[in-house]
Amino acid sequence: MDVTADASRGLDLSRLVEFGKSVYSLVILLVLWEVVGQLGLIHYYFLPPLSDILIRFAELTLSGEMLFNAYLTLQRALIGLAIASVLGVIVGVLSARNDIVDWFFDPIIKIGYPVPIISLIPVFMLWFGIGDISKIIMVAVGTFWPVAVNARESTRQVETNLIWSAQMMGTSDRRLLWRVVMPAALPGILTGFQIAMPLSLIITFVFEMVAGGGGLGALEIQGVRSFESAQVYAAIIAIMLIGIGLDRILRFVRGRLLHWT
Amino acid sequence: MDGRVTISGLEKVYGQGAERTKAIEDLNFEVDGGEFVSVVGPSGCGKSTLLYLIAGFLDATEGTISVDGDPINGPGTDRGVVFQDYALFPWRTVYENVTYGLEEDGVPKDERQNIAQKYIDMVDLDGFEDKYPKELSGGMKQRVGIARTLAYEPKILLMDEPFGALDQPLRESLQDQLLDIWSDLGKTALFITHDVEEAVYLSERVLIMTRHPGTKKTVAEIDLDRSGSREEIVTSDDFAHFKNDVWKSLHEETQTEVTL
Repeated sequence: MDVTADASRGLDLSRLVEFGKSVYSLVILLVLWEVVGQLGLIHYYFLPPLSDILIRFAELTLSGEMLFNAYLTLQRALIGLAIASVLGVIVGVLSARNDIVDWFFDPIIKIGYPVPIISLIPVFMLWFGIGDISKIIMVAVGTFWPVAVNARESTRQVETNLIWSAQMMGTSDRRLLWRVVMPAALPGILTGFQIAMPLSLIITFVFEMVAGGGGLGALEIQGVRSFESAQVYAAIIAIMLIGIGLDRILRFVRGRLLHWT
Repeated sequence: MDGRVTISGLEKVYGQGAERTKAIEDLNFEVDGGEFVSVVGPSGCGKSTLLYLIAGFLDATEGTISVDGDPINGPGTDRGVVFQDYALFPWRTVYENVTYGLEEDGVPKDERQNIAQKYIDMVDLDGFEDKYPKELSGGMKQRVGIARTLAYEPKILLMDEPFGALDQPLRESLQDQLLDIWSDLGKTALFITHDVEEAVYLSERVLIMTRHPGTKKTVAEIDLDRSGSREEIVTSDDFAHFKNDVWKSLHEETQTEVTL
């Protein structure tokens, strides 16, 4: 009994060491950051010690301010992304399958995809104001392109033999889309979502910095304006955590949906 | 017997203008119901095109293809294709690949299971029902390809170099398996290959095609005594004789290709 307990504890410890080894360069950097800050080698305004930032992060979290702003950012980013995902997949798949739809959308995609979408924020402020709706539309427009382009490419690349196989086994043209085209194109469609997700956070974050209205971007820029450097970095940590969290979720969903690849 | 394929005045042209190429020209041929016919020809002679025209995947430029007297119009479940690259649905398990055609036909679940199991057993894939295609070897994938095509019970089997990507021993065992299945089920079989020995071993007749544009050069009747083992058959004088005939005829075509 004791032996097994020891063994499992030993295993945990070695795992911890393994984990430590895998991130040691990061740990060194963080320690260096703390030391540099504590010794005052870099002015507090530019880079407060890590511990101050973490304390500020905890304060903001406990007061609810951080969670509320994170909620605002996440809500804007995810609603916009959801709209773009639905429209992007519809447009992408249809233009890969239908010449007339492609004739209409191909030039639009060619022009729209490479536009640095952030540059349009002032235009969106003119048209839709600075509220939630304006931000959500901006995210939807910005993330539409990678979703649509990836959906179109992966649909185009569905092997003809798979479509022929389904047809010979009695699948009608109407059902072909659901039975074969969509499942075969799913890996590429999910890749589009994975590219669009961080983009949705970037767009929301920048829009919030420029136009305010709460959210992590607004929290960060507020910190700059009120000389609260620790708040600036705390907001950055929050958006990083959200980005990493969402990426993990998408990877998990991808693994589940594509266990056959 | 059902499953007669009649090809008359068939012509297939790809592309337009300067890129216009004629793949098949004035082809007339008939495969009897229940017959096993192989098609050989130099590469680029349009033998795969012929198969896909019969399958209904491609439209003929001229001429008609009929099954039991009715001209075909697109793909249909009276014909089943076995592809060289298997073309299985990678997101479906072996079992789900085999039942696909039955699902499309609205066969109830219990019945689907019985039918699928019958054909999975027939191709010796018992125990692999829940595997995905990526987990299978090439030979196993092709057996799934055969089972899924047999499962929805087409009258005509169209096979496009189905064993072309497999090594020799595996190819031979699948050939024998295919012959057993064919004689059990009594289906019409049209088999594309570039392997003369394979064509002679499997078929009652071999259609030899000319090089580009492809059309019928000759038809060799393979009147072999197939009662013995594989070894007895392939080492017999008759087998050598038929193989030589087909080889010579095919060689004339490939020679032309080289001198050009």
